[in-house]
Amino acid sequence: MRLGRVIGRVTLSQTIPAYGGGRFLVVSPYDREHFQQGQEAPEGLSKQPSLVVYDDLGGGVGDTIGFVEGAEAAAPFEEPTPVDAINAALVDNIFYNPKK
Amino acid sequence: MQLARVEGSMIATRKHPSFNGWRFVICQPINRDGEPQGTPLVAIDAHGAGMHQHVIVSSDGKAARIAVGDDKSPARQMITGIVDKTVEEEAA
Repeated sequence: MRLGRVIGRVTLSQTIPAYGGGRFLVVSPYDREHFQQGQEAPEGLSKQPSLVVYDDLGGGVGDTIGFVEGAEAAAPFEEPTPVDAINAALVDNIFYNPKK
Repeated sequence: MQLARVEGSMIATRKHPSFNGWRFVICQPINRDGEPQGTPLVAIDAHGAGMHQHVIVSSDGKAARIAVGDDKSPARQMITGIVDKTVEEEAA
């Protein structure tokens, strides 16, 4: 799982039925130089490319989420579903203390 | 599996139900000199890894699904061991 801040939403008029009631969020991942400490998301964006994340937990713009990438992102679905990244946790608090 | 250093922890109330009861730690993948490489990852931890300890992180989703006991879990990164020491040997 990586962490990132929700910076937008994607609205689709037509989707495959497997997506159900889920939504899509645009997420800017955190990196070592740009990481949340405590409850407030850091200002601005990191150098990491943003991505679209499937969400069925109810994340909103400005929230910090934990998202899972890869084949594991499709695991919660009943049928094989084209999902690259899924929101797995809405983050409340982060304690981050990088060495050096 | 990746060598990583524990650099934090994370609290999430709203999460996939398969993560209930698991501790989340923030792991920084490192190279053999201990220099950070890549973005920090969040792993589930059953071993109680401490701050700045070196750990082995597995990214095997199937093993993580078995560990959390839910075959519909998105779990992936998991701490599989705590490093006592790493020994580097010269190639002959």
